[in-house]
Amino acid sequence: MLRLGIAACAMAAFAGDFTFTIGSPVAAQDFRAKVAAFVFRTQGCADPAKSQISATAEGLVKGVRRSVALKVEAMPKPGVYAVYQNWPADGHWVVNLKGTCNEANAGAIVPIGPKGFVRESSKFFPRPATNIEIEASLKALAQSENKGENK
Amino acid sequence: MLTRFTRHISRQLAAHLDGQLVQPQAQQAEMHLRECARCRTEREQVRRGMQIIEHLSLVEAPAALWPSIEAAIQENRSRQAPTVLLWRWAVAATLLLALAGAAYWRFAHPSGTRWEVVRLAGSPSGGGKPIRGAGRIGAGEWIETDATSRATVKVGEIGSVEIAPGTRVRVVTARPGEHRLALARGEIRAKISAPPKLFFVDTAAGTAVDLGCEYALSTDERGFGLLRVTKGWVSFQWGGMESLVPAGASCRTRPQSAPGIPYFEDAPESLKQALESFGFEKSGGDALGVILSESRVRDTLTLWHLLSRVDAADRGRVFDRIAALTPVPAGVSREQALKLDPQTLDRWREELAWTW
Repeated sequence: MLRLGIAACAMAAFAGDFTFTIGSPVAAQDFRAKVAAFVFRTQGCADPAKSQISATAEGLVKGVRRSVALKVEAMPKPGVYAVYQNWPADGHWVVNLKGTCNEANAGAIVPIGPKGFVRESSKFFPRPATNIEIEASLKALAQSENKGENK
Repeated sequence: MLTRFTRHISRQLAAHLDGQLVQPQAQQAEMHLRECARCRTEREQVRRGMQIIEHLSLVEAPAALWPSIEAAIQENRSRQAPTVLLWRWAVAATLLLALAGAAYWRFAHPSGTRWEVVRLAGSPSGGGKPIRGAGRIGAGEWIETDATSRATVKVGEIGSVEIAPGTRVRVVTARPGEHRLALARGEIRAKISAPPKLFFVDTAAGTAVDLGCEYALSTDERGFGLLRVTKGWVSFQWGGMESLVPAGASCRTRPQSAPGIPYFEDAPESLKQALESFGFEKSGGDALGVILSESRVRDTLTLWHLLSRVDAADRGRVFDRIAALTPVPAGVSREQALKLDPQTLDRWREELAWTW
């Protein structure tokens, strides 16, 4: 499943679509990213400097929905960004990434588990994620953590 | 005539060499030099001094030196000497003072500043003395902990190192540009927040080079040990060979041997065991076969390192396995990878790191 996901991401990137790829902080190849929750890069954007990137942490804390705006830090390598955790430790959280490059859009939902971001259940879209998709990811994350997965 | 032959021109030599003397003093100086061996010798000495000064690199002087420099300049000012000569001598005096100060400083502090050591538990010692609360330790001194003691060292301005029980570690260098420890035995846990290659730990099996990271390194006196990285990257180097270990991965260390091939801690046990056999016992094809078949996408970390460690005949198998796990990026060709072209391997590693 993971292999298929990676292959799908890579195929989309090679096809020239504007997409996100997520990775652990080591992928940024920059010491400043070592304390990041995760890093991501844009692909399929001819001029990454002109892309617009934003992120929010979407959480479910004791049954209450919360949203926290995140600072996305650009790394020295063009098109690579770091996301640092500034959302509360309690509750269930996903990071919602949005990006535009000229007319193209990209979105991603990255669940955050007890050990960090969960690559396997991250979702990627050729548009911003919808509220329904974010709610569904949060629900799935809460269920999997309650079952003891992602630990 | 009196000036030419009985009054030497020592004080005019710097200005003369600098082309600052006006006529007729310049002509008189030339005539005097033609007939005065002593002044010609002095002129050469001044010329050499000026050449040396021009080629000196700039060195930051200790702050404590400035009062003496200011005093020297003030003294020169009060003498009301000719401007050019005064300037020359003031610069020369300043540089000499700075050099003498730097030399003294370097002699008195052979490898830089002293780091703070704080006792965490038990009875650690630093520089042969017990550390009761906090102490300071400099280059050449040892920190030792027994089975029940722990300590932490503030590594200059770039981080800290916790010293676990049963550890013996020496401060090798404590300068802003190089922070180096030698771990003789035991375990340290380093947390470094600095650009790469400022913090090093030598062991009997090689050197851990910080690339912006947090890690634990343990070893025995012979060099058998383990490096576990929790954040960032560490490079473990020995004999021109290197293992690049990212967060979540480990690498074994052995004396007189290439650094162990890194593996993720969540890698399948069968892969880890095969790697142990392959890395240090050279059991050959069976171990390699297990490693290749058991690898997940993330284990391309291990496979990427294997590519340059296996026999040339086996490189193709390793390449093909990585290519089967994750697409080979643009700029990486099979041919160049099998030749171990450094640029190709770096490009591939950077791309593979997105799956690590």
